[in-house]
Amino acid sequence: MWNEKRRSRIVAALRGGGGKVGAGELMRRVCGFAVDEMAVSGCALALISGAESLGILASAGRHLARITELQFDLGEGPCLQAYASGIPVLVPDLAVQGAARWPVFTGAAARPGVRAEFCFPLGVGRITIGVFDLCRDEPGMLSDEHLADARVAADIARDAVLYLQDPPGHPALSALFEIVGMDRLVIHQAAGMIAVQLDEEPSDALARLRAAAFESERSIYGIAQDVVERRVKFGE
Amino acid sequence: MSEVGGGGKDGGGGKDVSLRERRLARAFVRLADTLAEEFDVVEFMHGLSVDSVEILSAQAASVMLADMRGGLRLIASSHEQMRLLELFEIQSAQGPCLDAFGSGRTVQANAAESRSRWPVFARQASQAGFRAMCAVPLRARTDTIGALNLLRGSDELFSDAELDIARAMAQVATIALIQEPALRERSLLAEQIRLALRSRVVIEQAKGMLAQHLSVTVDEAFELLTRHARDHGRRLTDVARDVVERKISPGALARPIRTRSIRRG
Repeated sequence: MWNEKRRSRIVAALRGGGGKVGAGELMRRVCGFAVDEMAVSGCALALISGAESLGILASAGRHLARITELQFDLGEGPCLQAYASGIPVLVPDLAVQGAARWPVFTGAAARPGVRAEFCFPLGVGRITIGVFDLCRDEPGMLSDEHLADARVAADIARDAVLYLQDPPGHPALSALFEIVGMDRLVIHQAAGMIAVQLDEEPSDALARLRAAAFESERSIYGIAQDVVERRVKFGE
Repeated sequence: MSEVGGGGKDGGGGKDVSLRERRLARAFVRLADTLAEEFDVVEFMHGLSVDSVEILSAQAASVMLADMRGGLRLIASSHEQMRLLELFEIQSAQGPCLDAFGSGRTVQANAAESRSRWPVFARQASQAGFRAMCAVPLRARTDTIGALNLLRGSDELFSDAELDIARAMAQVATIALIQEPALRERSLLAEQIRLALRSRVVIEQAKGMLAQHLSVTVDEAFELLTRHARDHGRRLTDVARDVVERKISPGALARPIRTRSIRRG
């Protein structure tokens, strides 16, 4: 509508030389566009369900997807807030606005040098299926132009997910998981195993997994892998 | 027209304009808000009718939209009496709305003019207490998709400024309507994906639970899940949910494979 011109310009940039671009490639290009054109140091598109990341659809930049995944490992951060609220979360100076809201994440993000973060939900109305996450290695707000570009880029990425259909009218989940990879699913398998080991709900098991990752300073994914391959057992 | 004291601009009509401007701004903010949120056409059009009555000093307003067969359908009206009158307009096949829709142009008439242009409709309108009337087409590029109809109790025609406002409101309504199918389709797809992702998580959790209970690998657990779903004519997601909610005992899923392994061994 009012953004049609902006959208056309960004779509043209993403198309590049022309020809058909697959959904996975399009999402990679959206991230690349963000890093090249919006003065950010990292960008990722994450697929989310129930406040859990199901995987990274695409990423680009020096900070790549690590900062996005980190929030799901820790269970806090702008991405989770954007996912829960359905509205963008803009944090121009993490040290100032982030420390009280997400103390653990803010500290962890500062180590690789992330100073600002801007997170846009991928959604329609009240339904959110993921986030478009931008981070920057120096504090400061996105310019109005970059902000408007980011919103449009997020919509383009969202539509790429929504219109990935097979058969027509039905979203192709297998195609989505081909793009994100199955890695992250191991976390839910591990949660199921721990739930039985401790006779509790998988959601509680997931919280334990997260706590264990935090305590041992390992990734939640690594520990989940150990659980599924029976190198680690809970409740012993 | 109403007079409002204080805070208005100087000069003839200035105070009126100030109140109208505020109402207009409020109406447009509401229209724009609707575009961003989930969208109900009928509710949206009802809001538009009510707003236009307030802003354009009319007694009643309604919105008609073209249906699939190219006829007009009443979508919303500010008042019940207006609804009946518009249904009458459609039935009698004459009236300002139909003309605006047919020509794609704004149409207006005072009581005398309306009697000569639409005799049947004008009689009905005057019985309902309406005199001056106008209709503004809802135009999308070259297509006309409906019309906004305004009726006054007085015989005063709508000023050029008022007609401009009516056209602006009609334009926003049109944009909303054009957007709507795309919005609805996206909502549907997003909801399908959300549900599919949730199922996926439940299936992975069920695999983990079975793997632990039965001391099998997660891949074997998945095989047990799909086999059970197939044998019982159930959806994989439903079986997985039952496992996660502990409504099916893991043993019930294990049987087929165990039987087979005993035979083999």
